[in-house]
Amino acid sequence: MSTPRPGTLQHDATRIARRATCSWLAAALALLAISVLLLSAPAAHAGAAIVTLTSAQAAQTTNDHLLTELPPTIVDLPDDWSDTRPRFDGLVRYRTRFDRPAGAEPNELLALYIERVCSNVEVSLNGQRIYSGGRMTEPVTRNCHYAQLVTLPPALLQERGNTLDLQVRGHALQRVASRQRAGGLSALQIGPQALLAEQQARHRLWNVAAVQVLALTVAVLGVVMIVLGWMSRQAAYFSYYGWLSLAWALMSLRIWWRDMPWDNGVIEFLFCTAFAPVVALAVQFLLSYADLRSRWIENALALQWVLLPVTLLLGGPARLFGLANAWYVVLAVETCAAMALYLWVTKRHPRHDRRHDFWPMVAILGAGSVLVLVELAVQYDLPGLPQLPLLQLGVPVLLVAVAARLLQVFARSLQAAEAGRNTLEARVREATAEIEHNFAQLAEMRVEQVTEKERKRIAADLHDDLGAKLLTIVHTSESERISTLAREALEEMRLSVRGLTGKPVRLADALADWRAETVLRLGQANIEADWRGPTEETEQLLPARGFVQTTRILREAVSNIIKHSGASHCKVRCAITDRQFGLTVQDNGKGIPMELDGKLDRGHGMSSMKHRAKQMQGQCLVESGPGYGTVIRLTLPL
Amino acid sequence: MTNILLLEDLPEIRTWLKVLINQVFPQSQIHEAARVHDALELVSAVKFSLALCDLGLPDGSGVDVVAALREHQPECQSVVVTIHDDDDHLFPALQAGAFGYLLKEQARELIAEQLKRMSQGEPPLSPSIARRVISHFASQTRQQERPQNIPHVSLTDRENEVLLRVAKGFTLPEIGVQLNLSRHTIADYVKQIYRKLNVSSRAEAALEAQRLGLFRRQ
Repeated sequence: MSTPRPGTLQHDATRIARRATCSWLAAALALLAISVLLLSAPAAHAGAAIVTLTSAQAAQTTNDHLLTELPPTIVDLPDDWSDTRPRFDGLVRYRTRFDRPAGAEPNELLALYIERVCSNVEVSLNGQRIYSGGRMTEPVTRNCHYAQLVTLPPALLQERGNTLDLQVRGHALQRVASRQRAGGLSALQIGPQALLAEQQARHRLWNVAAVQVLALTVAVLGVVMIVLGWMSRQAAYFSYYGWLSLAWALMSLRIWWRDMPWDNGVIEFLFCTAFAPVVALAVQFLLSYADLRSRWIENALALQWVLLPVTLLLGGPARLFGLANAWYVVLAVETCAAMALYLWVTKRHPRHDRRHDFWPMVAILGAGSVLVLVELAVQYDLPGLPQLPLLQLGVPVLLVAVAARLLQVFARSLQAAEAGRNTLEARVREATAEIEHNFAQLAEMRVEQVTEKERKRIAADLHDDLGAKLLTIVHTSESERISTLAREALEEMRLSVRGLTGKPVRLADALADWRAETVLRLGQANIEADWRGPTEETEQLLPARGFVQTTRILREAVSNIIKHSGASHCKVRCAITDRQFGLTVQDNGKGIPMELDGKLDRGHGMSSMKHRAKQMQGQCLVESGPGYGTVIRLTLPL
Repeated sequence: MTNILLLEDLPEIRTWLKVLINQVFPQSQIHEAARVHDALELVSAVKFSLALCDLGLPDGSGVDVVAALREHQPECQSVVVTIHDDDDHLFPALQAGAFGYLLKEQARELIAEQLKRMSQGEPPLSPSIARRVISHFASQTRQQERPQNIPHVSLTDRENEVLLRVAKGFTLPEIGVQLNLSRHTIADYVKQIYRKLNVSSRAEAALEAQRLGLFRRQ
């Protein structure tokens, strides 16, 4: 396992992973930067064609039905109700006058652009109602995130002194869970419709469409993670992450759904309540990702989930904002604490497979905590309302970044599992091959054993039965010829048995055996023997059959010399090369008579010698002439 | 008056051998046995100077009788008389203490001659047996850790020289000429080789028995 290849692979993988995370973060930052640039752009180029109205007469009505109007006052736009009319919840009428913008073409269609009006607006021009953003009574249409564009009908529009009436339905800051949804009206802009439509589109892109796209992305990722978590149950953080993403996406649903069938109190209560499970999931995810688990924290989070709505209910709708903000602080602290705990634990005990996880996570979680703190500051009205829904844009981007990390970790573990499986498979294959090999060897050995045993049995039978009978004939026969024949038969039998049971013989040993026998026999027959073989040791082997057949040939040749040749001297020469083995037996006897060659052959056993040599793919040549002795040349392949 | 043990299961051959022994040793008393069991009984009752033992017997191997003789009557010369000429059969008998071997089918005169030589202390030694003896002693010296009570037997240089030459196919008279030694000296070397083979084999067997946790055979 310690081969360098998997190591470098993993190293590469983590490097790529780190690069990917960095690029994610860079992309997110770039997105934010571009959006800021784009939003600040229109003010610069709108020019004289657009008139911005920054003050209006405002009259607030306490009750929709009675329409008890207070005397109008002059207010500056933007008019944040929380500043100008604290705790007011209801309808405010704004009246303002404007002239046709000087920079606009005479025939150009003009429009009114309201960047922020919360929650809803109805617009009248010169006494004619020309636009309604939706329901003006509970449940009020929630247009807080939507910039409004009202086309001004040219027929109603005068060159000078146009009266613009806006009825704004809004909620007191105390009755909403987020400052972004408190009642208010931004500055009004009047200008060419085309320009303002572009501005509205841009506003919608960043405040609505981007949030929607991110919410969708996060929802899809969430589902994927839930499935992953379901598949790999030991990694609970996948499930936590999945549900966190899904919950966030659900919370972002309010961007889509402007006309909810409940009144403001219910909706705001639900929104605020939803933060408890989201934070609980986030905390649980971080803990689980750091391989921590605490019953205590789990119970506390569950309790919080109950406690939060209970306190909101007890406080009542009029104290919603204050209570919600108190809870936001608690939740923000919890989230930041969980992040810090995660980082602390992973710094101290980095997991082997997430060694390179630390710094990307520091970046992600750092950005997350900054986001949370900024949002908290916004709620406490420290920097004023931002132009972008920071939380709605920032959190999904961070969630996506975390998802990228998670998927990398998952992919890596998948890779590791795959590699492990491959090694395992290879090992199984090896083991199987070895077992098969062993089995084959065993079977072969078994066959060999059985064959060997059977050969031994045959050999023993031959010795005990045939051998004993031949022996009896040898020693009991009256006829010398018969006992010689029986003796020869016995020798043949023994050689056969040896060929049957014998193992390969070293050629050097075979030569030694032949030499000893030949020299002994010739010596007993008073024939001078001159045997010369190779002096150097060879390790070549002769099969048992080759040994037996050669023994027979040599024995026959020596017997011929002893019986028939009348020789007094016998020369034997052996030569061994890599390929073949040669044996020459030469005597100085009377030779084999030519004319009797055929007949004598049988007695001299020449044909059987030749036949045996042929059986071994060798040859046996006999040269003889009367008075010249006999030369037998045997060559055998090795 | 000497006692000779003849262990042979085939009646004809036994008779034939008996005649032969009578020719070579006319003054001897021949005790016949056809089975290992009978032979062992004879060994415990009679003191022999020579024993001719067949190897393949109905109730066992003649090697056991050779071993018993070596154990109880070390002066007795055991000769294996067999139809097997291969060293797989002969070597165990030589290890057990046999002093030589005769091939049964050989002509009467030849056997008589060999028997006489053996009784005079000139045992035969074939190249294949010599090779077995060489490898036996080679494996003996390889075994390093050897208990103190087991005697270590090794061949002298001269004995080794003789063995090597026999293994290469030279006959004993030839070796005598080559080494400029008398026939009797060569015969003495061969006798020493046989004796040492037996001692060394017994030591090895004892070692093996010890190693297996058995008691030494008494």
